[in-house]
Amino acid sequence: MVIFLRNKYSVCPGCSLLCDDIEIEMKGTEIDKANNACIKGVSRIKDTKKLESKIDGNEVNQDEAIFKAAELLQNANNPLIFGLDNSTTEAQLEAIKLAKLISATIDDNSSFCQGPIVNAILKNELKTCTLDDVRDYADVLVFWGADPSNSHPRLNSKYAYYPRGKERQRGWDEDRTAIAIDVRESSSSVLCKDNFYQIPPRSDGELMTALSSAFSGKMPKVSFDIETQRILKLSNILKKAKYGVIFAGLGLTYSQTGIETIKNFLTELNTYSNFHLIPMVGHYNMRGFNQALYNETGYVNRVKFVKNESGNLDIKHGLQYSVLEQLNNKEPDTVLIIGTDPFTSMPHSVAKKLKEVPTIIIDPCETLTEKIADVVIRSAKSGIECGGNAIRIDGTCVELVPIINSGCLCDEHIICKIMEEI
Amino acid sequence: MDDFGKYLSKPEHEIRIITYRDVFQSSAAEKSKFSDEYKNLSAIIQLDKKDIKKMGLKIGHNVIVKSTVGEVTVQLKVIESDIPHQGFAYMPNSPWSNAIVPLSDDRSGVPEYKMLHATIKDAKNESITLIEELIA
Ligand code: SF4
Repeated sequence: MVIFLRNKYSVCPGCSLLCDDIEIEMKGTEIDKANNACIKGVSRIKDTKKLESKIDGNEVNQDEAIFKAAELLQNANNPLIFGLDNSTTEAQLEAIKLAKLISATIDDNSSFCQGPIVNAILKNELKTCTLDDVRDYADVLVFWGADPSNSHPRLNSKYAYYPRGKERQRGWDEDRTAIAIDVRESSSSVLCKDNFYQIPPRSDGELMTALSSAFSGKMPKVSFDIETQRILKLSNILKKAKYGVIFAGLGLTYSQTGIETIKNFLTELNTYSNFHLIPMVGHYNMRGFNQALYNETGYVNRVKFVKNESGNLDIKHGLQYSVLEQLNNKEPDTVLIIGTDPFTSMPHSVAKKLKEVPTIIIDPCETLTEKIADVVIRSAKSGIECGGNAIRIDGTCVELVPIINSGCLCDEHIICKIMEEI
Repeated sequence: MDDFGKYLSKPEHEIRIITYRDVFQSSAAEKSKFSDEYKNLSAIIQLDKKDIKKMGLKIGHNVIVKSTVGEVTVQLKVIESDIPHQGFAYMPNSPWSNAIVPLSDDRSGVPEYKMLHATIKDAKNESITLIEELIA
């Protein structure tokens, strides 16, 4: 094993904050400590085990697994490629090339989480800002359906609430107001004290409408139990913000508040104030996948490449190309899953459909889904055993420099090898 | 009496479930999803203490949670919070919650992670659903 000569600091690929201040301490050839990282980051960085590739549950060498995967994909009429949110941008681009080569459907986890918000940001339909802007200027923070203490543990200490910034020199208790709007009390809402607004599930859109009324001086009305005075107080804080930021969490996305409602609310709010929105994408490079596919096709996810009669590629897009619809309707005849675990993250009524199709997994870790897979190809853990670029939660590109070299191929090179075989 | 009681079916109670993320559970997942640590932090459901009393359930006991698409046996916990949440239960996002989360009927393509209708009942002597059983 080779240990790279590193800069003083490494980047943590544990979540989309991509914290770039991690001090690694080695014990021999093993990572011993990941100082500054949160508990989740430490586990991601330190718990790197060497596992074997498999065909039908039997251990094989990696080349055999790659060859078998290529054979399955080559013979497929309607392959699906899913995942890639824990891969570097370079690997994502190779996967898009593979999807074109074999006329596949390609989708990622944003398909059932933050996709619509990232799409609106890439189209400049939602005003956004960087985390550095948040640290330097933000005076009002709104965690809407978001619980960063659990999803992005260092957001508040590194960028949002606690640090001093250029125009925020007096500390969090004087200089910043944090607000939580959520269906449940969370570790983050507790920080917001009286500025926690608990609302019933799926009432987010209704609260946005009520706040919009309050902005324009009308009496806000909602069908659920909340004092009108509290809505008026919230509307006042939002209107008076010098530099506001809404952290849009999964709670907001899953509340089924349409993206149009969110866009209209932000536009209305910004006739009085100066608000920005950052989507709380989870996986470290989900924004990278959205950006890469958007640059190639004009869509952030749910894309199918189809060869037309003249041999050129048509790009199809829509709900029917989402991983959930594809699997639920038993459309794909081979599935390639890269760096994600459907049995952990998606409804099992859908994930169980994978048992009926040849399934290939590329992953550095032991996943639940690999137990039903035909082929498992072990890859290097990206950001730790291999490097590349990734797009942070706020759209900033961050370079990942590998910490150790385990000799394992990264997913980028595995995908290239599959394409060579095909 | 005890012997007779075990043949009586336990009452089912309706509940709406909201799933959530937990950093300690995410950290355990990074180490191993097949560990007891991950199971203990994932295979749980949290209810309001008034609901627990009303439903005659016991904190720390196992309960069967059933939706239109599946059922799991998990451990019952309570949240010590000043804010009541009667009628709503919380489960961490995990293979156990995903065993019972249905797809939504609308066109968003987003499953019902934040509003899942289910029933809950005492699990008698049943043990927590093993992760291997969830994949089977
Ligand atoms: S907050 Fe995210 S990126 Fe930062 S150390 Fe924790 S897991 Fe890693």
